[in-house]
Amino acid sequence: MQRSDRHSYLWSPIGRIIPLVVVGLIWQAAGTFRLVDPSFLPSPVRVAYAIADLLTGREIRDNLLVTLSRAAIGLALGSMAGVWLGLMMARSEVFRAYAAPIVGGTYSLPKSALIPLFILWFGIGTVTTVCAVFLACLLPMVVNTFQGVRSTPRVLIWGAEAFGTPPKGMLWRVFLPHALPDIFAGLRVALGFSFVLAISSEMVASTNGIGKLIFMYGENGAYDYMFAAIACVVVVAFLADRLLLIATDKCLRWHESSARRELA
Amino acid sequence: MRALTDPTPKIEIRGVSKSYPGDNSPVQALRAVDISIAEGEFVSIVGPSGCGKSTLLYVVGGFLNADGKVLVDGKVIHGPGTDRGVVFQEYALFPWLSVRNNILYGLERGGLASDERAKIADRLIGVIGLKGFEDRYPRELSGGMKQRVAIARTLACDPAILLLDEPFGALDAQTREVMQDELLRIWLETRKTVLMITHDVTEAVYLSNRICVMSARPGQIVDEFRIDLDRTIPREQLVTSDAFNKIRNQVWIAVRHQALAAETANAAI
Amino acid sequence: MMEKVASKRGLQLRSLISVLTIVAVWEAAARAGLASPLFLPAFTKVLGEWWSVCADGSLPGDLFTSLFRAAAGLLLATSIGVPLGIAMARNRLLHWMFDPVIALAFPSPKIAFLPIFILWFGIYSISKILLVAFACVFPILIGTFAAASALNRVWIWSAYSLGTSNFALLFRIVLPAAWPRIFAALRVALPVSLITTFTAEMVGGGGGMGATLMYSQRFFESPTVFAYILTMLAVGLLLDFIMLRIQQAFPAWSPGQ
Repeated sequence: MQRSDRHSYLWSPIGRIIPLVVVGLIWQAAGTFRLVDPSFLPSPVRVAYAIADLLTGREIRDNLLVTLSRAAIGLALGSMAGVWLGLMMARSEVFRAYAAPIVGGTYSLPKSALIPLFILWFGIGTVTTVCAVFLACLLPMVVNTFQGVRSTPRVLIWGAEAFGTPPKGMLWRVFLPHALPDIFAGLRVALGFSFVLAISSEMVASTNGIGKLIFMYGENGAYDYMFAAIACVVVVAFLADRLLLIATDKCLRWHESSARRELA
Repeated sequence: MRALTDPTPKIEIRGVSKSYPGDNSPVQALRAVDISIAEGEFVSIVGPSGCGKSTLLYVVGGFLNADGKVLVDGKVIHGPGTDRGVVFQEYALFPWLSVRNNILYGLERGGLASDERAKIADRLIGVIGLKGFEDRYPRELSGGMKQRVAIARTLACDPAILLLDEPFGALDAQTREVMQDELLRIWLETRKTVLMITHDVTEAVYLSNRICVMSARPGQIVDEFRIDLDRTIPREQLVTSDAFNKIRNQVWIAVRHQALAAETANAAI
Repeated sequence: MMEKVASKRGLQLRSLISVLTIVAVWEAAARAGLASPLFLPAFTKVLGEWWSVCADGSLPGDLFTSLFRAAAGLLLATSIGVPLGIAMARNRLLHWMFDPVIALAFPSPKIAFLPIFILWFGIYSISKILLVAFACVFPILIGTFAAASALNRVWIWSAYSLGTSNFALLFRIVLPAAWPRIFAALRVALPVSLITTFTAEMVGGGGGMGATLMYSQRFFESPTVFAYILTMLAVGLLLDFIMLRIQQAFPAWSPGQ
C-alpha cells in the first residue's frame, strides 16, 4: 500500500530494462573472462549476431510462421469449442453429467502424452501439432467458461428477466458477459499452452517449425543459433501474451480486475 | 476538567498533518490536529466520511507516519506498540487462528507461563460470552462475535490505551447497541484511556466524555463537546433523557454542518 | 464445482454411463475391425498390456523415475519461488530487480529451453529436474508474490500492536495469510511439473514414462502407448485429487474473509 515514490525513475520503462541489461552484462562477462566454456554458453554478442543473421534469412521467419499458424489454428478451434462446451455444461445438468467425467479426466492429463497417439493416427506434421494444441487449449476454456457462467448471480438473471430479456438473449446479454473475465483468464492459460504444445510436438513430430529448428541447431552444435532461436520464441511468446493482456484490458474496462491488472 | 489538573496527558497529539501523494497534487488528509487526552478519558472523534478521522487514529497507532508529534505518557511514539491496543472496523482477526489462539496471540510475548496465558484467555472468552466457541475459526462467527473476539484479543494484552476505529460500524443496529453497552461496561471497570473514531453521533454521545468534531478534508478539529452524563443509569432512560438529546442534537448539527460544507466544496469542484 | 443437483444419483449414473459408453464403443470398434489395431487396439488388449508392463516392472520403474523428477523439480521450484515471492512483496528493490526477468520468462514456453538444459546437464535426471523447476518456479513465484502483496494491512497492524517483531511477522502473519493462495499456486504448478517431465522425456529421452511412450510409438507398439497414456491420466487425476483433499482438510486455508 505505502509506495515510496522516491525511486519512481526505476519503474519507468527505461528503468525496468536495467535488470535485464545487468543480466546480459553478467552473461557476457562470464564468457569474456572464460568463467564458463563459451561453447556451452555463447556470449550475448554472439547470440545477437546469430539473431541478426537469422532475421535477415528466411529460415527463422518461415519456421516461426509455420509454428504460429499451427498454434493459432489450434488455439482458435480449441477456445471456440471450449467456450461452447463450457456453456453447455453450465446450462444443462444432463449434458454436464455426461461431459463432466470426460472433461475431468482429460483436464489433469498431461496433454503432451497424447502426441505419440496423434502421431500413430495422423503421422508426422501439421495435423498432429494442431490436434495437440487444440486439446490443450480446449480444457482450460471449458473449465473457465463453465465457472464464469455458473457463478452468474441470480439477481442478474432475475433482473434481466424482469426487463423482458428472452431466454435466447440471456446467453449473449447476461451469461457470456458475466463469464467474460473468466473466459479471458482461460484464454491466457490456453495461449501459453498453445506455444508449449506446438513447440514440443514439433520437436518430436515434425519436419519443420521453430521447435524442430531449435532442436536441429542443438543437434548440429550450432549453439549460438540455438540460443538465438530460443530468444526469438521468448520474445514472440512475451509479445503475444502482452497483446492478449491489452485486448483483455480493452474488453474488460468495466470489470473490477481492470485496475489491478497492472503486471504479471 | 481532568486534562487541566493532570500534568502530563496520556495521549498528546501535537500539530499532526498528513498528506497523501495524489494523482496530480498531494491530497491533505489532516491539517494541524491538536488533541490532549487525559488518563482514563474516553474521547470520540466524529466527522463526515472521508474526513481523515481514521488516518488520525492510524497515526496515533503508529502505523502511518505524519508531520507533527504524537506523545504517549510524554514520550514521542515511533511506530506501533503494545501500550496502544487497536480494534479495527473490519475485525482484523487472523483467519487462520481459532478464537482461542487469536486471543492468545498477544499474550505470548509477555513472559507468562502457558497455563497462566490459558487462564487469561479463558476468562476473556467468558467475559465476551463466547464459551463453547473457543475452537471456531473467525469465518464461522457472526460479525458481532468477531468483533467481541477482536476486543478480547486487544484487552488480553492489557494496553493502557484503546484505539477504536469505527469498531461497530460493520454491525447491525441491534448488535451494535449490545456491543456499545459491553464496551461501556468494560470501560467503567478498567478506566482505560480510549480514543474512538465513529460516524455515529448517538454512539459517540452515549460512550464518551468528550467529542471532537472533525471538518471535511483536510481534517481539522473544529468543535469540541464535553459530556457529563450519568453512565450508570440504564440505556433506555439515558437515551430518552432531555440532557442526552440536547447534547446529541448539538453534536449532530455540528457534524451535519461539516458534511454539508464538504458537499458544497465537492460540488464546486 | 459440486453444487446441489436435481437428483445426484441420476446424474452420477449418467456420468458412469458416459464413461462406460466410451469404453464400450472403443472395444466394439476395435473388435469389429473398424479401426486397425495399430491405431486403436481393443480396450481389453490395452488392459492386458498394462498388466504385463506392470508385472515385468517396466511401467512402475518408469513411473517412479518420472515422478521423482517431477517431485524434485517441484520441490526446488517451491523452495526458490515461495521465499523469493515473499521477499519481492516486502522489498521494492527486489521487486524491481526480478520483475522484468519474470515478466519476460513467465509467458515463454519453457520446453523450448530443453536443448539448453540437455546441453548443460545431459539427458538424464538433472536436466529434467532443473527444467521442471524452471517451468514451475514462475507460477509459484507469481502466486506467492500476489498473495503476499495483497495482505490485509489491518492484520499486519494488529500484529504489530500485539507486539510482533518484524521477523516473527513473516512466519506468524505473512506466511499463514498468504498460504491459501500459495497452495493454490502449488496446485497449478503440480500438473506443470508432470507435463514438463513427460514432455522433456519424450523429446530428450533419458528414461521415464515419456521416453518409453515415445519409444513404443516408434515401434508401433500401440497397446503399450495406450497403457502408458492411461497411466499418466490416472496419475494426473490422482495427484490433483490428493491436492484437493489436502486443501479441503484445512478449512482455515480456504481464501476469503
